[in-house]
Amino acid sequence: MASPLALPAPLALLALPALPAWVILLIAPFVLLNVILGLVTYITLLERKFAARMQSRIGPYRVGPHGLLQPIADAIKLMMKEDIVPNAADRPIYNLAPIVFLIPCMLIFATIPFAPGLGVGDVNIGILFFLAVSSMEIVGLFMAGWGSNNKYALLSAMRAVNQIISYDLPFIFSALVPVLLTGSLKLGDIAAAQQGSLLRWFIFYPVIGQLSFIMFVVSTLAAENRVPFDILEAESELVAGFRVEYSGMKFALIQLGEYAHMIGSSFLGALLFLGAWSGPGPEYLGPAWFLLKMLFMFLLVTWIRWSFVRIRVDQILALSWKALLPATLALLVSTAVVVVWRTNGF
Amino acid sequence: MASDLAMIVPAVLRAMGATFKNFFRKPITVHYPDRPRIYPNRYRGLLALTYDKETGEENCIGCRLCEYVCPPAVIKVEMLKAPKRNFAKTFTLELYACEFCELCVQVCPTDAIIMMKSFDLSTADRREMLLDKDRLHAIGQQHEPSWATGNLLRDMQTPPKAAAPAHAKPAVPPPAQSQSGADAVGPRETA
Amino acid sequence: MLDRPTVARVELDWAGPERLTMNMGPQHPSAHGVFRAVVTLEGETVVAVDAVIGYLHRCHEKLAETLTYAQYPSIASKTDYVAAMTSEFAYVLAAEEIGKVEVPKRAQYLRVICAELQRIASHLLWLGTWCMDMGGALGGGATIFLYAIREREDILDLFESLVGARLLYGFFQVGGVRYDIPNGWVAQCRATIDRIDQRLGEYEQMLEQNPFFLARAKDVGVISRELAEDVGIAGPLLRGSCVPYDLRRAAPYSSYEDFDFRIPVETDGDCFARYRVRMVEFREASKIVRQALDTLPGGPISSRPALKSVAQIRIPKGESYARVEGPRGEVGCYMIADGSAKPYRMKWRGASFSNLSILPHIIPGHKVADVVAIMGSVDPVFGEVDR
Repeated sequence: MASPLALPAPLALLALPALPAWVILLIAPFVLLNVILGLVTYITLLERKFAARMQSRIGPYRVGPHGLLQPIADAIKLMMKEDIVPNAADRPIYNLAPIVFLIPCMLIFATIPFAPGLGVGDVNIGILFFLAVSSMEIVGLFMAGWGSNNKYALLSAMRAVNQIISYDLPFIFSALVPVLLTGSLKLGDIAAAQQGSLLRWFIFYPVIGQLSFIMFVVSTLAAENRVPFDILEAESELVAGFRVEYSGMKFALIQLGEYAHMIGSSFLGALLFLGAWSGPGPEYLGPAWFLLKMLFMFLLVTWIRWSFVRIRVDQILALSWKALLPATLALLVSTAVVVVWRTNGF
Repeated sequence: MASDLAMIVPAVLRAMGATFKNFFRKPITVHYPDRPRIYPNRYRGLLALTYDKETGEENCIGCRLCEYVCPPAVIKVEMLKAPKRNFAKTFTLELYACEFCELCVQVCPTDAIIMMKSFDLSTADRREMLLDKDRLHAIGQQHEPSWATGNLLRDMQTPPKAAAPAHAKPAVPPPAQSQSGADAVGPRETA
Repeated sequence: MLDRPTVARVELDWAGPERLTMNMGPQHPSAHGVFRAVVTLEGETVVAVDAVIGYLHRCHEKLAETLTYAQYPSIASKTDYVAAMTSEFAYVLAAEEIGKVEVPKRAQYLRVICAELQRIASHLLWLGTWCMDMGGALGGGATIFLYAIREREDILDLFESLVGARLLYGFFQVGGVRYDIPNGWVAQCRATIDRIDQRLGEYEQMLEQNPFFLARAKDVGVISRELAEDVGIAGPLLRGSCVPYDLRRAAPYSSYEDFDFRIPVETDGDCFARYRVRMVEFREASKIVRQALDTLPGGPISSRPALKSVAQIRIPKGESYARVEGPRGEVGCYMIADGSAKPYRMKWRGASFSNLSILPHIIPGHKVADVVAIMGSVDPVFGEVDR
């Protein structure tokens, strides 16, 4: 956390006056949340344009030049929609669910450093905080499904709990590989260990790096309910799943949470495997490189999403428990062996 | 398990490669209201009544053959008898129920009712699609007519008995080059 | 049973299996039309399917008694609206069989060309919607759907140049066809089928060994050979279950015996087998079109004088049952003619109607997600089911 006197390199350019720590503690999360919100809205547009190009069409085009105002139009539309609450819904749970879903998805950005020292809180257990908090969205999800009093929503919520819990373990294990390679849970340290040259990125670490990256991507797909693992909201069967009874601003909050979680996992992946802010050019370009790498992760996931059909829930669970979990465990153990071997100097 | 992986990974990459290849193809979207849609020559669009090219009189003789043949019965005609030839006193066509099957065009003896190469008639009020005679004539003046008129269609279907007149189809299969004639495929947009 | 009030909470009873009755349809993104399936679930497994149809009933058979032989082919398109020419074909074949009307060779070849192009277009729509059902409207399914529709639009352009309409034609007529091919159509047709053949290779590349696709389609919805022959299904469902029956070979109509094509038969009987059958049918259909274009004879396109009035076509007394091999199976038209300009009675054998009867046999035992996969591979069109 930046002390009042030493600002991180990118901000030093702005020549801000030295501020007391508690002021920075108020401003930084505010700025971060707003940036994330803006990023989330425009990343929906990016995804739509990207997917459209892969499908021989254009995507949003009419609202604003080349569709640039489309996310704003969507946001205004959602805010203006009538808030319909089903008669038999369990009101307190129904109303709280979007908030309980959204808060963890926003909280995960707290420990991510966007440049050396630039972040809300780069705590010692950074990655542990991220992984723990990001699993809490299941609570909000299940509350949404249960509170709607709708069979489709309930089915979807049950599938969600199944799937996210099953895939959190491989997610954690594959995210722990860079931790082992660095020797620290602090995200700033993991990023710093990859600075210097391209080949120091953990994705280029022989064999272990590539394998853990692939497993990270697969677990992210499943933890984010992206096709091929989006049985949770399978539109053609369950018609929007646990979100089916939400409209208007509550739906917007749930969408926001999903995409925020997606971006958060992309940031984490870029940090763990792609070297965070390392890139050619001066230091203050660091966050820009980080953003580009996050977009690369996001587009990779999007590319996979728009190329495959989804698989059934029992197949998803089989894949997780029978294939992915043993594989990530084995990978973690072999990483530990390699690290010990290396520190003892073979 | 390893052999499965050896099969799965290339298959996954192949599928992603197919999507990737399409990423670089030109999109096939046609920006419809900004660029007009190009209709082929035989397009069955809006219906219209025509005037005779030489005399400028209405072609319709009020014979009601179109009214009888129409499957959803959307045409209503009343004949007006006159010394030299008959006219249609009223001619109503309910475009909102029309099937666009072209049977009325097929049976019309004087090529009075034809279809246009345009479909642009959206309204907010369905009553505007109840076309009366004036409206039908106006549509005929506003848009480009399709190639298909009653006589041309009937000539196309009749088994030829005598030598082929100028505008009939040749008896041999048409060669594979497109000639610029009224009955060609017509312009198409290239995506 | 079907009117249970929805306000009641679902009681989850951990002591034993709780059966949940879930309604899929009639408004549902993957119901392929208006179809209501009341499925009874135990957890995720379907134990019973109760199909409710009739939401699209438009009294076609009564309508045929009030419309003449000249008018009805335009209406017949609306039964199987995805492959509209199939129904028109069956209707005019029935009328021609009773009236012993000769159809000139050129008209027969044109009918074959259009029927096969229609088969390709219909299978493209099947591929797109099936993958969309399995993959979701926001996902890989939509990608394949858009590719398939992109190809189908090219075929619809062909029909537009020929007939003037894209979806519902009115191309067939008792005695022949109504339109002859314009100049330049043959070249456009050849170019289109070449392009589609090549793009089909791309789709197969995307799907054939795709592990996710195989996981959804293999061993799902297995129809055994005995069941297929018992229940009375037809079309790719039958040929996917090792029964080599295709009307174009078994009872050739309209010069199909002149063409050289093979009938794909698969032995597994699951969704993947039916997918393979249809993919091969694509290629065989384009083979037939090419052969027909190469050997298209000259001559008239109708053996009867051109249609000039509504009651022009009169069929003498008699009855017949004419059937064609549509993309979905056997489309049959049973007609009783009484000498006037309208049939006395006309009955449709809808291919999808008979194919739907297989659902209560094969769906129980599968998971909910498989219901849409199986329905997609059965490929019903509800215009044909409800008529």
